[in-house]
Amino acid sequence: MANIFPRWTNQLPLKIAICAGSAVVGVALAFNYYATPKALAAGYQPAQPIPFSHKIHVDQIGLDCRYCHSFVEVSGHANVPPGNTCWNCHQHVQRESPKLAPLHQAMDPAYPGYDGKPIEWVRIHKAPDYVYFNHSAHLSRGVGCRSCHGNVHAMEVVSQDQPLSMSWCLDCHRAPENFLRPLEEVCNSGHDAQTYLTNNPQLGVTTPRELGLMLKERFKVKPKITCTTCHR
Amino acid sequence: MSKRNWQHPAVPANETTVVWRGAGPLADIPAMHEWWAREFPQAATAMSDAGDAETTRRSFLKLMGASAALAGFGMAACRRPESHIVPYTKAPEWGIPGKATYYASAMPRAHGATPLVVTTFEGRPTMLAPNRLHPDASGTDAFAQASVLDLYSPSRSREILNSGKPATRTDLMAAISAIASNPSAKIGFLFAADDSPTRARLTKELAAKYQSSKFYQYEALTGESPKALGAGVKCLADFSKAERILSLDCDFVGTDPQGPVTPFFSGRKPEGNGYDTKADASKLNRLYVVEAAFSLTGGMADHRLRVAPGQVLLVAGQIARELGIFHAKGVNEVTDASQLAWIKALAADLKAHAGKAAVLTGSRQPAAVHHLALAINLALDNLGAGKPLAAMQTDTRDLGSLAALKAGIESGAVETLVLLTPSNPVYDAPSDLKFADSLAKLKTSIHLGERTDATAHAATWHIPAAHYLESWSDTRSARGTHTAVQPMILPLYQDCVSELELLLALLSDTGKLLNGEGEQGAPSPAYHAVRTTFAGLGGESETAWKKFLRDGFLADTAYPLITPEIAESAAADIADANIVTVKAGVPTKDALQVLFATDASVFDGRWIDNAWLQEAPDPISKLTWDNAALIAPKTAMELGIYDEIIATANARALASPDGEGPNRKSPVIQVMVNGRSLEIPVLVAFGQAEHTLVIPLGYGQGFDKDDEFKRGPSNESHVGLVGVNRGFNAYPLRTAATAYFATGATVQLTGKRYAVALTQEHHAMYGRALAREVSTLDADDGKGGFAAQLANVSKQGNDAHAPPNIYLYEPKGSALWHPGPDGKAQEFLSDPLHQWGMSIDLSACMGCNACLVACQAENNIPVVGKEQVARGREMHWIRMDRYFATQERFIDEDGKEKQTPEWVRDNPELVPQPVACMQCESAPCETVCPVNATVHTEDGLNAMAYNRCIGTRYCANNCPYKARRFNFFDYNKRNPLIAHNLYRGPLGVTAVGDPDHLQKNPNVTVRMRGVMEKCTYCVQRLTEAVIRQKRGPQQQTLDDGVPSTGMTVSNSTLRIPPDSVRTACQDACPAAAITFGNLLDKEQSVLGRSRHMDRGYDLLHYIGTRPRTSYLARVKNPNPAMPDAKFVGKATIHMG
Repeated sequence: MANIFPRWTNQLPLKIAICAGSAVVGVALAFNYYATPKALAAGYQPAQPIPFSHKIHVDQIGLDCRYCHSFVEVSGHANVPPGNTCWNCHQHVQRESPKLAPLHQAMDPAYPGYDGKPIEWVRIHKAPDYVYFNHSAHLSRGVGCRSCHGNVHAMEVVSQDQPLSMSWCLDCHRAPENFLRPLEEVCNSGHDAQTYLTNNPQLGVTTPRELGLMLKERFKVKPKITCTTCHR
Repeated sequence: MSKRNWQHPAVPANETTVVWRGAGPLADIPAMHEWWAREFPQAATAMSDAGDAETTRRSFLKLMGASAALAGFGMAACRRPESHIVPYTKAPEWGIPGKATYYASAMPRAHGATPLVVTTFEGRPTMLAPNRLHPDASGTDAFAQASVLDLYSPSRSREILNSGKPATRTDLMAAISAIASNPSAKIGFLFAADDSPTRARLTKELAAKYQSSKFYQYEALTGESPKALGAGVKCLADFSKAERILSLDCDFVGTDPQGPVTPFFSGRKPEGNGYDTKADASKLNRLYVVEAAFSLTGGMADHRLRVAPGQVLLVAGQIARELGIFHAKGVNEVTDASQLAWIKALAADLKAHAGKAAVLTGSRQPAAVHHLALAINLALDNLGAGKPLAAMQTDTRDLGSLAALKAGIESGAVETLVLLTPSNPVYDAPSDLKFADSLAKLKTSIHLGERTDATAHAATWHIPAAHYLESWSDTRSARGTHTAVQPMILPLYQDCVSELELLLALLSDTGKLLNGEGEQGAPSPAYHAVRTTFAGLGGESETAWKKFLRDGFLADTAYPLITPEIAESAAADIADANIVTVKAGVPTKDALQVLFATDASVFDGRWIDNAWLQEAPDPISKLTWDNAALIAPKTAMELGIYDEIIATANARALASPDGEGPNRKSPVIQVMVNGRSLEIPVLVAFGQAEHTLVIPLGYGQGFDKDDEFKRGPSNESHVGLVGVNRGFNAYPLRTAATAYFATGATVQLTGKRYAVALTQEHHAMYGRALAREVSTLDADDGKGGFAAQLANVSKQGNDAHAPPNIYLYEPKGSALWHPGPDGKAQEFLSDPLHQWGMSIDLSACMGCNACLVACQAENNIPVVGKEQVARGREMHWIRMDRYFATQERFIDEDGKEKQTPEWVRDNPELVPQPVACMQCESAPCETVCPVNATVHTEDGLNAMAYNRCIGTRYCANNCPYKARRFNFFDYNKRNPLIAHNLYRGPLGVTAVGDPDHLQKNPNVTVRMRGVMEKCTYCVQRLTEAVIRQKRGPQQQTLDDGVPSTGMTVSNSTLRIPPDSVRTACQDACPAAAITFGNLLDKEQSVLGRSRHMDRGYDLLHYIGTRPRTSYLARVKNPNPAMPDAKFVGKATIHMG
């Protein structure tokens, strides 16, 4: 019987397998690089109705995080400030700035376009609906703002710094010593563990990691990693 | 087919208890065994009819195709949707986003307000709990718990109606101004039966303004006691002082409250409320109940006598006679020997506890019984300060009755009527009163109500009422304490008016109606009125007012006690009632007595549109969504309808799988009484007096085209989706003379059948010694005295033979088990701070639905509708099992074993048992989950991660307690109350944006279709408490000024204080039957102490699941002199 298939087809299954295999590996790698939270979520930087600059308010003026995000230490939510918090200062300061039009619209009855409706800020950091994250639980145990939100104090426009994925949460819950700060320092945007240790030699530790371990022991921090910690 | 069954060990040979839940199992139909053996009832996992299935599949494919095609355009789904954070412009004081705010308020009610603490999230009230500071705090019942849903009810009235047609506010304002500007108007006011100090004050002002005004009071089922005690007088029990309690047809723990009940339940716990002493039988109270049909109170009774409702007078008279009371002369003697023996022993016991006993009379009993009870209480010196009973004068003294109102209308003395009662007189007034005709004769009638019920449509004007959580008011609790009612939210709909606002408008010269807010954002005028009233009692100071609002009450404002005397009319009343009773005679099968009962779900009909209450199974009959006539099994046999109801081995029972589930159809009977007839389905009820028929009231208010019996459309607009096509209206059978029970009824089968959604065989557990019971009495049957029986509790069933269970949370020694890298036994993942546990005291649990409804409110549990309940798909995380039990045989005094006499067997014990997830340490559900969606937490919870669950239902299959519930449909998104809506899939009507979604607890996931769910000990409350505690050290360093690096944190700083967190069910329970806490608090917490009681036992201990919830056995305290004493307190429940 004549050969139906030419000789070169002997290699065909192997070639197909190699091609298909590399395609699968390629898709997996591409998915991992482009489609996971660290790629999709981190770096998200939407435009806000008022181009509020954290850099000016925190770095230059020196406001504490908790002046605006006032309930972060007592509530699960770190509240975005209500209009009247902004208005406390801005009824006196930078009144004429066109950037503040939405604030005037919300707060200033003398403003022509006043409607009293709240400002709609665009949400940047978003945990899924089935995650019950609690800010106060983290601040009261020595996790600083910066560990999750990055150097917000230096941002002109806020962007998401960390992926906020579940594995990212667990990284810290499994080894909190890498992130713990003394409780006084949680909202200190300029906190640097090494400088802190230099200024506080009485603590008797020298490296940031030792400090973390010391605080973990002292505060008895034992973060939970079972489901109901975040999901219920 | 069904799963592999656990073979439960044999029932111990010496067990004499016979147990059943429903009539079918008692008859032992083989098909029932298969029904029980299933994870879910058969119907639950079956498709609906083929038509539904076909539509769903086809539409599913269509939609999938369409969505796949659309997905190609633009990859829109890959982009993150923009969402917004919208803060307040001017933040309200005290409002912290994400944190609940709690306010003290109260729910006004006829028998005295229920003091409440209301949980609000960002201004939305979501959950109610009892106000424990209040002197009349008594937990909450299912009605109070469910009342929050009424606020958000989609069918709530929100439009002004003029003669049933939508009208404008301007027209209404004109009508009100016309009245207000005419002080000579012949105006009448019909109030509710509750007592509000501000309303009482305004009533006086109204009387002064309108010279010819008249004031009346009406609620449908408030009873006859004022006729005996005097207008506005009530007689309340202080159960903490009552050692012996006799209830004459009085359901005081259920629908007929007679004072705060929590102390009664304390008297059911031999170790005291805190479980801090050794069990002592002498601490227990003893409850005698004389009633016709099982009530919750009857279920708690130590001794229960079944008599027809009309015969209670004779029993009361006989008791009085035994006690040598003059008024007994007017009553015929009881001749039945077994009843006489019962009464004699009871009378002796009451006499021996003179001054420490309470005789309570059901409000539905005629005045004569109230006279007799008062005479007995006076003779025994039970009344007065420091005594178990106290009579007090309320402010509702001068209000006329509905009959007086009718006379006023007929005579022309009332031309304008303002109806403020929550009852619905056009629907629920006695039929011979023909109230609707009188209402039509009025020039103007203004109805204020939350529902567009029959009266709303019959009145000239209907004004939507503001809910009590939306209005400023005040009220009085059971003993009269001045209690605040404060608004949590402005009325959801702008036309909603509160009672006080309407009265204030009528008081003003212009009649201007201000509701919700005053002019220019000022507080409602009702606020000023309430504050003025308060100033008269508690002073003008701001501090006193703030304290009033914070605590919710003003101390020392209880009603003054009065010394009641037996009315002069007593002898005549008693003689008249005796003639009626004698004439009616003992009921027979041809002349049944009908008891018109208050319903445990809709009360007098006012809650017909409350979905939580409708879906909560009736505590006794386990019927949901409908009412049905109840009849004792023997009477049913005599009437020849028993076989129809039970369908024992008849063709129908075999044809359908078992006559259960969606196939469960009850025969419809025609009841003829008072010359009227009613067709209603009938169910068998155990422990009911022979020849009586119980018909719950309040149903059948409106029907649409989907009604099973094609009764609609009729009065469709009177009800919403919840209340439409619900049950059968028995009010037309009532006359003024027979408002609560009627005699001479006949019954015949109609040949029709009606689908009933009964939950009694759903999620039915089986096993040994599920509920355990002991008696304080040594009954010569080898079980020994109280102490011996207590010691035996943990060995009941097969637990004596089961090997000890291993405690998983303390690795004991052996390196062989879980060796770590170092070869030693590994430390388990275990929280050293908190290990949660619960104990449920069956001695205090009465089986009401307060916990069930509270859980529903707290945990966003959806309502599934009648059709789905019939299939066994109800979602309640905590279910109330209800068993009937009696003794098959007993050891007589001569030492021989004998059959239990029939009169005892016909009067079984009722044993309720709440069952939720047991949080097993060695949980069978966890090992079978293929995706680790249900796993254990280090603090001992059996966690349920909904976002992980893929709905295999293996876990529910493996749960021996049947505590898991599956979302067969998207009950939250697709309204299950619209007919067939669930089966239309994505084509059905979505419920997104319905107002009831505002009630959801933001701290709990709203589950979707295909997800398993169950109790998690209110983990959101636990997490909140733990986080709050962990904030403590931070606060401490700030306060002390020490650097945090120098602070010391120990387990005791991080552990929440003992008994500082409550689960929703525990919080709601009026009986304090549920105890929750941290096991590591050991003896410091009530929970820790309760765990070491002799009465403690684990449910299904012998299968080794190590449940975290444990039970305490029920204790009965029988009177040794009673003829049935030796049969009481032995109901140990073995099922299957």
